[in-house]
Amino acid sequence: MRKLFLIGLKDLKLVFRDKAALIFMLLAPFLLTLGMGFVTGQFGGSGSGISNIPVGIVNQDGGQLGNALVELFQSKDLSDLVVATIIEDPAAARQQVDEDKFAAAVIIPTGFTESIIPSAGQIDASPAVQLVIYNNPTRPTSAGVVKTILEEFVNRLEVGRVGGTVIVTQLVTKGLISPAQVAAVAVQMGQQQVKSLDENSVIKLNSNVASESTVNFNPLAYIAPAMALMFLMYTVSNGGRTLLVERNQGTLPRLLVSPTGSAQVLGGKIFGIYLTGVVQMLILIVGSTLLFRLQWGDPLAVFVLVLAAVFGASGWGMLITSLAKRPGQISAIGSALMLTFGVLGGSFVNLEVMPTWVQFVSKITPNAWGLDGFSTLALGGGLGLIIKPILGLLVMGLVLFTISLALFNRRGMTMK
Amino acid sequence: MKKILAITIRDIRLRFSSFSEWLFFLIMPIFFTLLLSGGTGGNSDNRVLLVVVDRAQTPLSAELIATLENSESVHPELMTQEDGENRFDSRRISALLIIPAGFDQSALENGSLTLELRQQPNNLNALVAQGAVQAVISRVGQAVEIARRSVAEAEKIKAFQSAADRQAYFDEALASAQTLLDKSPDRISENQGNTPAQIEYDPRANSSAGQLITWVFIPLIGLSELFAYERQKGTLRRILTTPTRKVTYIFGTIFGQVLIALAQMALLVGFGILVMKLNWGQNVPALIAMLVAGALAAAALGTMLGTFVKSAAQAQGLSIMLGMVMALMGGCWYPLELFPQAVRNVVKILPTTWAMQGLLDIVLRGQGLAAILPEAGVLLGFAAVFFGIGIWRFRYE
Repeated sequence: MRKLFLIGLKDLKLVFRDKAALIFMLLAPFLLTLGMGFVTGQFGGSGSGISNIPVGIVNQDGGQLGNALVELFQSKDLSDLVVATIIEDPAAARQQVDEDKFAAAVIIPTGFTESIIPSAGQIDASPAVQLVIYNNPTRPTSAGVVKTILEEFVNRLEVGRVGGTVIVTQLVTKGLISPAQVAAVAVQMGQQQVKSLDENSVIKLNSNVASESTVNFNPLAYIAPAMALMFLMYTVSNGGRTLLVERNQGTLPRLLVSPTGSAQVLGGKIFGIYLTGVVQMLILIVGSTLLFRLQWGDPLAVFVLVLAAVFGASGWGMLITSLAKRPGQISAIGSALMLTFGVLGGSFVNLEVMPTWVQFVSKITPNAWGLDGFSTLALGGGLGLIIKPILGLLVMGLVLFTISLALFNRRGMTMK
Repeated sequence: MKKILAITIRDIRLRFSSFSEWLFFLIMPIFFTLLLSGGTGGNSDNRVLLVVVDRAQTPLSAELIATLENSESVHPELMTQEDGENRFDSRRISALLIIPAGFDQSALENGSLTLELRQQPNNLNALVAQGAVQAVISRVGQAVEIARRSVAEAEKIKAFQSAADRQAYFDEALASAQTLLDKSPDRISENQGNTPAQIEYDPRANSSAGQLITWVFIPLIGLSELFAYERQKGTLRRILTTPTRKVTYIFGTIFGQVLIALAQMALLVGFGILVMKLNWGQNVPALIAMLVAGALAAAALGTMLGTFVKSAAQAQGLSIMLGMVMALMGGCWYPLELFPQAVRNVVKILPTTWAMQGLLDIVLRGQGLAAILPEAGVLLGFAAVFFGIGIWRFRYE
């Protein structure tokens, strides 16, 4: 047992002296966490990365509602979200969208106001005049935000228009107001209708944000373990690579000449890989806690999950090693597996938006199970809530280690 | 020239001597492009998933769900309360909408109803779902609200003679409001950016362009590994004994890798055109200019990096890491529009940002050679600077 530990510790020291390995094990996950943090707006001072969307507005209408829409885009409420620029010429606005200077151009055509607010002496307004939104195809999210603002504005106008029409029509048909009062009452009713809908919606939405009262979930608490787990795959495959390198260089046979059993040597090497993975994860956890002020959750549960995640990932590392013939093969397959598991396991894209088969296949990755557990802990969960991911990782590791040992045995790597 | 070609052919043979090279050259780029563009079947609906538990099972709840189905931002999926709560508790969904028992028209007319929306904290999709549900309930409830207002306005002028009269007035207003709201004209006309070829926006084009850059930049930056490997093995020293100039050796090595990269890009573009039906081929000269400029910039970066690293292993780690970070920050994995403005400005120092911008100009915006010249020019500028530093710092030992 002592020899096993000594071999493991020696490998751990060797890995942490290797600058190339450190780049992958520690620097890469930190940099990618930082990058993903920027994407999600975690370092930008706002909750979302979407801000300051450039919009061109052409107000050909010049009426009450056209001006109201311009004011809405220039309002303080939307000042962080959109940067509206007033432009006279629709063609110029479209050109700026084509040149990627605007995320969208909004054109308010002549007659827009009159198509909603009836002219004096009329109950019904003129035929509908459509607002035109000209989207930038390379900024679909920003253009979608602009469209949502327009839809909300138009919906309120429409409710006001229908409300005014219904109320006035009923008042006239029941003889409660005279035809001469129609126009004035219609405008008044429409405006009141919009206001009342804002204040008293008949269907209320009771929004409950999970765990918000107890834990303020930081999306980096998802991103950091996602990157750590992805690069854990590098560590375990790199460990396997060193096993083959040692065999090819003759240091492994030399060890076997000493009074050390082959099972001890192989066990020591595997223990070294496992230990390296655990230390890598712990450094990343402590580092991200200090650098990004992350709350990983219950320390004991985090530690247990780290042990289980490294066990599951090491199983994959051993399987690749047992199948590969040359160290270079392990490097290539290990890197490919690291990236594939990263995508399939939710390290880059939330599994929720992935096809159902990907969600199913993700269960073979330590990333998916590990992320499940780390997210639960970051949300304030305890050891009891992460039993499933821990079991998933342990079963994964056991199955893969069993297959790997059988393959090692077949290739004579456990024989003296 | 003969020497350059000889070095090129040797490097190409060396690189493809292992089958695993094909993994990074073609298999993974295609797999990632398909997976990230939603082209692998199954969930092709890009709207946010909103799980709905319908405990009411009434015409009004059905109307609410049908209106949600027409939403452009969420797609509702019905589930039992137990399944919905399990998925929410295990954070497999961002939002869970529960329609309570008794959610029907009569209850709506006589008072207000409450829906329960459970959201994961600090989750953008949950916020999208909240906005969508809010918009839908406002639409579903607005006819009733209009009818109530109509009754109230009438009552201000003259009181109803009986409760039946009041109810009849309400019913008439409700029917009228529902009819008018149903007939509401479409007041927004939406047009995509007008391009010469009338190209329609296709989100898969982002994925195709982004993955192309990612998987071409990583091996080209990996040129550094080739230089480091040869320096480590002493083969570079051996070249010193031959009448081969430094520039000849460097260009021979780079030429081969750039050729491979161009072949790889041609295959990925061909895949995009034939399988994904993307508009890559609508301006071939512009496309060629961008691909060549991008490949040169990446190869030059690899050359420069090769003069700084000490070992092949170090170079391998650095090239994959730099490639991934530059792809991520250059907008190859997520659109740059999602980045804060300050970051968008900073990432202009990366060649991947310009390569992505140029390729999107071609495939999404249908721009021609003149429009992508600034991007291609910047990439060639990067190439000149990186090559300059690389040649200046290059040592055989």
